[in-house]
Amino acid sequence: MSYANPDVLVSTNWVKENLKTPNVRIVEVNVDPKVYDAGHIPGAASLNWVTQLQDQTNRDIVSAAGFERLLSDAGIKPSDTVILYGDNNNWFAAYGYWLFKIYGHQDVRLMNGGRAKWLAEDDKPLATDKPNFAPSHYKVNGFNAGLRAKIPEVLEAVATKRTNLVDVRSVDEFTGKIIAPPGMTETAQRAGHVPGARNIPWAQTVNQDGTFKAADELRDLYGKAGVDFAKPAIAYCRIGERSSHTWFVLRELLGVKDVKNYDGSWTEYGNLIGAPIEKGA
Amino acid sequence: MYDSVFDLLPSEANPSPLVRINSLHPLRDQLDRGESTFELFAKLEWMNPFGSVKDRAASYLLRDLEQRGQLTRDERDRDGKITKHGRGIVEPTSGNTGISLAAMASAKGYHMRAIVPEKVPEEKKVMLRLAGAEVDVLTDAMCPSPGMGEGSIGLARTYAKAQSDRYVMPNQYENPLNVQAHIETTGPEIWRQTGGRITHFFTSLGTCGTVTGVATFLKAKNPAIKIIALQPSQGHDVPGIRNKDELHVTKLFNPSLIDEVLEVPFEKAYTSAVGLCQREGLFAGPSSGLIFEGARMILERDKPAQGLGVMIFCDNVFKYISSMVKHLPALAGDHETRP
Repeated sequence: MSYANPDVLVSTNWVKENLKTPNVRIVEVNVDPKVYDAGHIPGAASLNWVTQLQDQTNRDIVSAAGFERLLSDAGIKPSDTVILYGDNNNWFAAYGYWLFKIYGHQDVRLMNGGRAKWLAEDDKPLATDKPNFAPSHYKVNGFNAGLRAKIPEVLEAVATKRTNLVDVRSVDEFTGKIIAPPGMTETAQRAGHVPGARNIPWAQTVNQDGTFKAADELRDLYGKAGVDFAKPAIAYCRIGERSSHTWFVLRELLGVKDVKNYDGSWTEYGNLIGAPIEKGA
Repeated sequence: MYDSVFDLLPSEANPSPLVRINSLHPLRDQLDRGESTFELFAKLEWMNPFGSVKDRAASYLLRDLEQRGQLTRDERDRDGKITKHGRGIVEPTSGNTGISLAAMASAKGYHMRAIVPEKVPEEKKVMLRLAGAEVDVLTDAMCPSPGMGEGSIGLARTYAKAQSDRYVMPNQYENPLNVQAHIETTGPEIWRQTGGRITHFFTSLGTCGTVTGVATFLKAKNPAIKIIALQPSQGHDVPGIRNKDELHVTKLFNPSLIDEVLEVPFEKAYTSAVGLCQREGLFAGPSSGLIFEGARMILERDKPAQGLGVMIFCDNVFKYISSMVKHLPALAGDHETRP
């Protein structure tokens, strides 16, 4: 069995061969700009998950106007093939992918293995200079609200049991032993998980080298955990970024028809008055 | 008298001290009743010149880079301002390796860039700067995961690859010299200091240079010596050491040399460090506290009638004041009672 949409992944070799291909734009998505500054794929632009991909006032994704500004500044056009990559198994790159899809970008892909794989391969160059692309006039192509779950849909999923709820946090967060990993500032009042959710920690979907596991392995992983591939799915974590990685796996690699990322995630759900919570395994 | 601080580096001829555990001996009652003669010693690695067990690996790594001609000195004008950058070191570190490397590199005129995860205690970051390192504090712990640590290691690798004219990465997580340092120094020191009587060796896991190196040496001398690795419980907050689930970042872990890996509730690292300070006069840091707690659990469980145990006490508590206060708020002095 192969991935449902194999085109959404490109290899590090493909990226190396296409470093100078017109209309192919590479974008690193990270949380700490130091990483990009120290060295990046030649020609890659940088997007910061903390300060650029989220609204800095409301708790929300970056606005359409903000997204247009970011991509225009980077000289990216709606017709470009955008290749995203980052560290931590493409964790934040996957969030970027979700956002590009929400704003209707046609051709966006992830570099399989992310930054770690590129670094580990001797023939892959790194650059320290920032690319100088002429600004574009990027316009978003609609808003795909169907890729995002908000609280009413989550509560409906709890009530109807017709949707897979996939909790991608660590086992201790899922069972309610801890509210959040130590040291995290964004947290909740209550620990546990959304009733009926299955726990498949996000990092189980990748190999040691950072590439995604094969389709059969992924199907097996979610199948054994009780995910019904014929039903819609909602993925969540603590603040909605780890779950975008799982959203990518379920939707793009396994072809589950209706997958939503619940980016409010546990920091929203675990703070809601009266929301039903389950504890334990 | 010594010609330079480098002469203080530990070796078989100049070992770090072994100090007997007395009042906190886990088999105190059995000893007093004559039911056991088990001796327990702490190897005080903070007596090394740069303050930790990492002086051993760091000195081996640095010497090797020098001998292979991998480093060049910064050129400076009369005011000490750098006029031409040499080729220095970049290394991911939770602190101690970086402090040792930075102190030695600075003393020899090389540049050092240390990449540290955000959660490293403030004292260690200051120590690194004090020792002359340029410090990159990396925000890489948004949500701890099995991929954790990739951030600082990845950033160091990036510098070494993208700016290879400026940086070389010794890579304590993969460099076999990290193990060799312990085969040639720590192991022989312990063997000689105990007159070959050691039966139990207790240490923690990090890069695993210590456990792999010491175990290699001791097992060759006497395969019956028990090598016991203590790991903090998952989700721990003990700087510098790792749970087994976090060991994928190191290539120096060799489980075939280890007789037992025991998990210790990580909070015990802190309470146990206080006990060592107050009852033994040993200003042990939290990782030493965790190792002592693990040794206590093993000895109380097995109750050996004889034998001799050696614990690695990685470093002292001075660099962990903020961590100690975080876990034991009473230490801040807001309460009258002692912790």
